Amino acid sequence: MPEEGYSLIGKSVPRIDARSKVTGEALFTADLNLPRMLVGKVLRSPFPHARILNIDTADAKALRGVHAVVTGADTAGEKWGVFRYTRDQQLLCVDKVRYVGDEVAAVAAVDEDTALEALRLIKVEYEELPAVIDCRSAMAPDAPLIHEDRPTNVNVAVKIDVGDVEAAFKESFLIREDTFAAEEDSYFMTEPYAVVANVHSDGSIEVWMPNASPHTKAKALSNALRLPLSKVNVRKITIGGAFGGRSDVFPAEFITCLLSIHSQRPVKLVYSREENSVATRMGHAMITTIKTGVDREGNVLARDIVSYLDGGAYSSTGPIATSVPFLCHEQTYRLPNVRFNGYRVYTNKPVRGMIRIHGRSFACGIDTQLDMIAEELGIDPVTIRLRNARRPGETTPTGSHVASCGLVECIERSAAQTNFVEKINNPVPNRGIGMGINSVQTGFPLGIRGGSQAFIKFHEDGGATVVSGVVDNGQGNDNMLVQIAAEELGLSMEDIRLISADTEVTPTDAGSYSMISTFGGGNAVKAAAADARSQIFEVASDMLEADPDDLVARKGKVYVKGAPAAGVSIAKVVRKALIEGRPIMGRGSFSPQVDQRREWITNPRGQLSQAFSFGATVAEVDVDPETGQVKARKVTCAQDCGFALNPLIVEGQFEGGVAMGGQGGMLGEEHRWHQGHVINPSMLEYKIPIIADMPEIAPIIVETIDPSGPYGAKEAGMSVAMSAAQAYCNAVGNALGIYFNHFPLTPERILDAITNKKPGIRTAWDIEPVRAIEPEIKSEQ
Amino acid sequence: MKKHLVTMTVNGQEIDIAVAPNATLLEILRDNLGLTGVKEGCSEGVCGACTVLMNGNPVRSCLTLALEAEGAEILTIEGVAAGGELHPVQQAFIDRGAVQCGFCTPGMILSTKALLERIPHPTDEEIKTALAGNFCRCTGYAKILDAVREAAGTPESGGHDRA
Repeated sequence: MPEEGYSLIGKSVPRIDARSKVTGEALFTADLNLPRMLVGKVLRSPFPHARILNIDTADAKALRGVHAVVTGADTAGEKWGVFRYTRDQQLLCVDKVRYVGDEVAAVAAVDEDTALEALRLIKVEYEELPAVIDCRSAMAPDAPLIHEDRPTNVNVAVKIDVGDVEAAFKESFLIREDTFAAEEDSYFMTEPYAVVANVHSDGSIEVWMPNASPHTKAKALSNALRLPLSKVNVRKITIGGAFGGRSDVFPAEFITCLLSIHSQRPVKLVYSREENSVATRMGHAMITTIKTGVDREGNVLARDIVSYLDGGAYSSTGPIATSVPFLCHEQTYRLPNVRFNGYRVYTNKPVRGMIRIHGRSFACGIDTQLDMIAEELGIDPVTIRLRNARRPGETTPTGSHVASCGLVECIERSAAQTNFVEKINNPVPNRGIGMGINSVQTGFPLGIRGGSQAFIKFHEDGGATVVSGVVDNGQGNDNMLVQIAAEELGLSMEDIRLISADTEVTPTDAGSYSMISTFGGGNAVKAAAADARSQIFEVASDMLEADPDDLVARKGKVYVKGAPAAGVSIAKVVRKALIEGRPIMGRGSFSPQVDQRREWITNPRGQLSQAFSFGATVAEVDVDPETGQVKARKVTCAQDCGFALNPLIVEGQFEGGVAMGGQGGMLGEEHRWHQGHVINPSMLEYKIPIIADMPEIAPIIVETIDPSGPYGAKEAGMSVAMSAAQAYCNAVGNALGIYFNHFPLTPERILDAITNKKPGIRTAWDIEPVRAIEPEIKSEQ
Repeated sequence: MKKHLVTMTVNGQEIDIAVAPNATLLEILRDNLGLTGVKEGCSEGVCGACTVLMNGNPVRSCLTLALEAEGAEILTIEGVAAGGELHPVQQAFIDRGAVQCGFCTPGMILSTKALLERIPHPTDEEIKTALAGNFCRCTGYAKILDAVREAAGTPESGGHDRA
């Protein structure tokens, strides 16, 4: 930190994009309107599993106002996959449909009514096939194969085995095995998915869409459309939320581009709310069996975990989604001996991706079981967590060194602020308190992405333009980049212009998922600004007759430390640099120091991420045993984010995490099904929290100043959702004296558990455990 | 489909516009008048992103037929800032960090504006009732509540706790 302290970093400055959002000026994808633009619509599979025998588009093509009709026959048949070994999704189905909603054909027409009429005129002949709609039946020996080129429906198998689990179980004082299940959760970002594609006569195509990585989208479109990467220009646009659900590549953008190429006109495809739920991504349903052995004091000696994830019809981010629930929890708690067998299974349901909580059955299972063990041993939930909590300087079971970690402080402060132990020891009927713990990676390399780069150029008035590939999904990344650049350059935020997330103009970036934007993109902009500043100091040192090392930049001026009055304006320095033919041009780059040999399936060991965030959340609830309704009273979240670059924004992330992970994620959010159909794809039926549901939230920012984060920052966006889910789960359980193991805790489930409550320290329901298998799967790298 | 001429005042300007009988107010505002600050989030009157004020009252423009707006005063988010000056509700949303992705923001601000015109100093319960029909997925609503309190001149201490 400079002697005078930071001028902007660490301050709750309002976001740079807020003004355009409160005036309605900010444009989202569906707001774009280009001359001659057509409306795109998609025809979807009505069956969970069927062969496509024939598609007749003649009548649709003949309809007045229809400019393009496309089917799988118009594609190169390429399969999309995040990894080479997971390429299994044709972006427009060719021979088979694998879930209700799979893309079969699409049209572009002059208006919506014509496009819908054209869809009705497309005749598709299907041969229905038997469908599998849950993990266990999909794994049965005689199950129909969803992908005929795969030997079984097991899509991904992750196996991690560290230490000697069996020997440690033998030494354990107490062993518990419990099984936890959770249904599918969903993102429900407020902006429904939309794409605009505009083909040009030079063969290039511009694309706008909500995304978490413009460069990833451009590369995938370049491959699928067989266009050079330099012809695909993904543009910046305001994005209405992501939560993990915009990270992947979807058929929508491929289809919209195809329609634009076929019609030679701009095309806009706007998803309905139902399509956004069914045909982008949703969270995995998951069953997890956890066996834990502890010593007399409650120190975990060994843990053996098996998870079955219902993956839906295609791989998506499967290897990552299968691993991350485990990885978060090998970070939170010390585990000398641990085994994890995670299986992601194909089913005839919509495709599942990464979502903020990363598996409610996993996260809540670990923490609920820890509470059960604590009760058996006669210790309290805080003590058992403190005994097992990760400390700084340690190494995780799969080999990541943890440089900074404030987990103990988070547990202690959230417990102290809520009088946790006192409340546990003095129970009030139907009132409960519970704690959950999180840890999240500040990005990982995935095997498919690198670091972030940034450029900074100066203007004659002393202002600067920052060019970065980082995309803002709504969390405030644009503001983060500008706040950092302004701090480093001694400028005000108003002096900085930002160009970001445009693949034609901006350098590459890792993408705004897995919590890397501040750590990666922020460090890259910081480096670019430092580079530009040193060039400014070189020029200014002649003007001020001073050593560059003695200069500082602040409030638009460069001066010798301690003598601001004798300084020179940055504008003057910039102009002098231009006259002298050495324009100020900052370059910066940052790649996290991780083990690049690490691979999700073949080599899950080595440094995963350069830094890890940690936290503890405490929920306090009242439960009405007559109705099963839960009223959350207060949620306290203590979170080690490294350093809060902007406390106002950091708090907003914590609070959003409580709503999505705890209030919504644990109390009501789930998709329900009928024969492969989602029966609640809309906002009316899928209940996300409203303002009236929310408790008071008390954020506690814990700062450990990570040695490699920008100004010590790590991440703040994902973590609280995970621990809030656990905290709500444990609080409801504490209120009723029940250990819940099927999520979310809807009033129906709560009432069922109360009605069928059995004595003893046991889970509410007997769920058949899931076991390790030795599947034959295709996983050549 | 035969169109009908409708006269309405949108953001202070009286207009005549030919509308199909099944056209929603949302479609007319977005597609015909280019007022894209009116957002379409669910198309079934649940999320509140399409909220506009009709004669001062919040309505779901996705469920309101354009024909129903005959003779009405419509205010969209584009008409809230007067002469480049932000309305106090807009300023409070900026200052209190109530804006994240921004998709729900226009509807939130219009619902808030209508509330404060009806009840200048609402209680928290009154705020929560007034905004119960506006979904936000980013903020957990805490900073939105802060912003409404600030706009109403009844702010709570919203300071953060730094270690």
